Amino acid sequence: MSARLANHDRLRIVGLLSPAYLWLTVAIFLPLSAMFYFSFLSDVPFGNTEWTYTTENYAAFFQTSTYATLLWKSIRLGLIVTVIAVLVGFPCAYVLAKVIKGRSREALFLLVILPFWSNSLVRIFSWAIVLRGNGVLDLGLNAILPFEVDVNLMFSTPAIVIGLVHSYLPYVILTCYLALQAIDDNLIDAARSMGASKFTILWRVILPLSLPGLLAGAVLIFVPVVGSFMEPRILGGRVGTYYGTVIEDQFVAVFNWPLGAALSFILLAVVLLILAVASPVLKRAQT
Amino acid sequence: MRGTFLARLGKLWLACILFFLYAPILVMAFMSFNASQYYQLPFEFSLKWYEKLAGNSEIIDAATRSVGIALVTTLIATILGTAASVALFRFEFRGKRFLQIMLFPPIAIPWLITGTAMLIFFFGVGLGRGTPSVIIGHVALALPYVIVVVSARLATFDATLEEAARSLGADSWTVTRRVTLPWISSGIIAGALFAFAVSFDQFVVSYFLSEPGDSTLPVLIYTSIRKGFTPEINAVSTIIIVISMAVMLIAARFSNFGGER
Amino acid sequence: MKNKHLFVTAIAAVLSVSSAQADEIRVLNWQGYGTDLDWAVSEFSDATGHTVVHEYFNSEQEMLTKLRTNPGAYDVVLINAAFTPQSQSEGLIGPIDTSKIANLGDVPADLIGNQDLNAGGALHGVPWTWGLTSFAVNRNDFAEAPTSIEVFWDDNFKGKVSIRDDALEAVQFAAIATGQNINDISDLDAVEAKLAALMPQIKTYWGSENDWNQFMAAGDLSVATFWSGSASRSMSAGLPVQFVVPQEGAIGWLDGLSIPSSSTKQDAAHAFINWMIDPDFYVRWAAEGAPASANAKAAAALPDDAFNKRVLGDPEVVARVQFQRPVSDENREKYLELWQGLKAAQ
Repeated sequence: MSARLANHDRLRIVGLLSPAYLWLTVAIFLPLSAMFYFSFLSDVPFGNTEWTYTTENYAAFFQTSTYATLLWKSIRLGLIVTVIAVLVGFPCAYVLAKVIKGRSREALFLLVILPFWSNSLVRIFSWAIVLRGNGVLDLGLNAILPFEVDVNLMFSTPAIVIGLVHSYLPYVILTCYLALQAIDDNLIDAARSMGASKFTILWRVILPLSLPGLLAGAVLIFVPVVGSFMEPRILGGRVGTYYGTVIEDQFVAVFNWPLGAALSFILLAVVLLILAVASPVLKRAQT
Repeated sequence: MRGTFLARLGKLWLACILFFLYAPILVMAFMSFNASQYYQLPFEFSLKWYEKLAGNSEIIDAATRSVGIALVTTLIATILGTAASVALFRFEFRGKRFLQIMLFPPIAIPWLITGTAMLIFFFGVGLGRGTPSVIIGHVALALPYVIVVVSARLATFDATLEEAARSLGADSWTVTRRVTLPWISSGIIAGALFAFAVSFDQFVVSYFLSEPGDSTLPVLIYTSIRKGFTPEINAVSTIIIVISMAVMLIAARFSNFGGER
Repeated sequence: MKNKHLFVTAIAAVLSVSSAQADEIRVLNWQGYGTDLDWAVSEFSDATGHTVVHEYFNSEQEMLTKLRTNPGAYDVVLINAAFTPQSQSEGLIGPIDTSKIANLGDVPADLIGNQDLNAGGALHGVPWTWGLTSFAVNRNDFAEAPTSIEVFWDDNFKGKVSIRDDALEAVQFAAIATGQNINDISDLDAVEAKLAALMPQIKTYWGSENDWNQFMAAGDLSVATFWSGSASRSMSAGLPVQFVVPQEGAIGWLDGLSIPSSSTKQDAAHAFINWMIDPDFYVRWAAEGAPASANAKAAAALPDDAFNKRVLGDPEVVARVQFQRPVSDENREKYLELWQGLKAAQ
């Protein structure tokens, strides 16, 4: 496309983009800017509180090791959940897009999305009933297996990972499906007729072509998981303290919005940094 | 036939994943028929939570309101999001990268903070609380998801198709309508499904911005954790899932969603 | 100041919406905490013609935030006495017109004179209920209820213990265990060490009454901190639990009903508060599980075997209670930092 934009193109861009971005500006960017401003204040400017400008809220992150430890723990959790979801979801999307044919495909695809339409809190509590000692998993396994097993995954990191993978799996299946479904079957047949092995086809044809979808899915999982606090709290119990938890505490427990906001923006910066570092690497992998 | 074994294995895998996805949904439904208020096992069949639900207008109202808000949100977010995706895909212009990056803050910053920020800001500009504010918030949260999903589909789009159509004399609008939109229709539908899910499950924004007495289902569920939420919540969730499953399967039957190229 | 200006405009906007006189009052409270009982609200409406709408909060901080950001939206608000001075000094709540609350005559003088409720030199919260934060045990795991708080550190119950995920409550709980004054903790290091020793014992933290009941019902816990009112509710729901006030003492709290200074329905709000401290209402509420009433006549009207009379009516128990005073922001931050540090180390 030409570097110089014709006037009518410019008009079209504005016409197409402005409704969405104006909406985002009013409802998200301006409110978040206000929060960003708060993160440099010593107190929330409500009523008759006294406040001054300060960078102390950002400095607080470095004053104890608590925040950095938890942020690292959250990033690790995000990576684990993303990797598992991709490994589990990609084959699933492939089967949906390339193996299953006809009407049943649409039906199955919708079935994958549907659990998403239930309330997340109800879903987490249901997982708790499954995973706890004497719970559904424990009773079920003991009914099938000839020997006694004692399964109590509740209040552990695996429980958090299971719950989060479950919550975010549809994202990656969906985006991978959309990308895989766009790959022309003739291309795969051509590669095959030229004697490429299954692995080569997967590695050199399918994966590169579906990478945009896979990446979109991975980002949609990784980014919110790093800031999650609900699932870790309910399923993780004592080990369920993450970076999102301390942010939530600042807002809910002590009303220290400036510190909470500063911690959120540090999270945002770190997440964007990770994405920025990852994107050239992934771009190279694509070619 | 070659690949049959692998194909079978794949289908088995898909079946396992579906089971995994539905495990908590099944448990949720199962517990709505269990007599124990504290979700105790062993299971004891009872319809009492459905009977209680039938008489609980608060939950029913909240559920209806949630569905309504989610439908409006889906409609607006899908249209605006698709338009933006098309522009981001089709045109090269300065600041495009920046606009794409700006989609991440709403996803990355926990909804609790975004919700609080909205509360302060809407209150500051005099918009106040109420259903319009809730919808404004929901659409904004759903938009990035729609744009990311539709863009992922567009990224697979072969631009030469548009070029070809244009070279045959089609004007830009015709190209969009006859070539681009059909190609990304499955992406749009997927985006819409996401927008619905985001709105239907959104509690922070609704919690801060809805008028007292006008709460949505997630708000009701969240606030009732304190007192103890009863299996009535399971009952209403089960009913919603069953209805949406029926609607979706009917839709799949009569549409050509994700269909043949 | 620019922000001040914004604030004032917003207040004006909100006020202009709600200026239409209607006798619908809005009550801000914890969910399921007495004021929203269906029968009580409908009887109140029948008797006075005023209707009642509820809105809920999940923490005191949230309650304060709601009052700050929605002036004029509420007419009655439940405030823990430890937060009354702050609410008063921020101008969020106004003085109570005692002449409009006839039932106040049955409330003991020491409660009416409570210094926190009388912040700013006038009564700003009508004493309504009080209770304890102590602990309860699962009777299936205990032949006899323990008498010491040390049961939390007992090896036999490792992995069967829970406390609430709340920095202030955790710190005050450990202050009691280390024999300190909860309102003036001199040795915070001892508190931290005591909590650090408690962490390996803990199965999970609880966040709400609902969590607590489910964990106990599932047999996950043997001993967990709990509120007296909630304990009485759990017992009447049939859970095998017993509430314990150990020899080391317990945390006491007092809840008052206040009227936001921005309320435009003062008469209806006073009438509702009067209704809520009425002995008739309280006795029926207590049968379902309630905290102790601040109204002496109401407390006396309970049946002798009622939890609130049996346990909280015992002067020896009351003597062991340390009532919560307001906590400075500085201490609150310090406690949160301590608690988060401990949680993060897990």
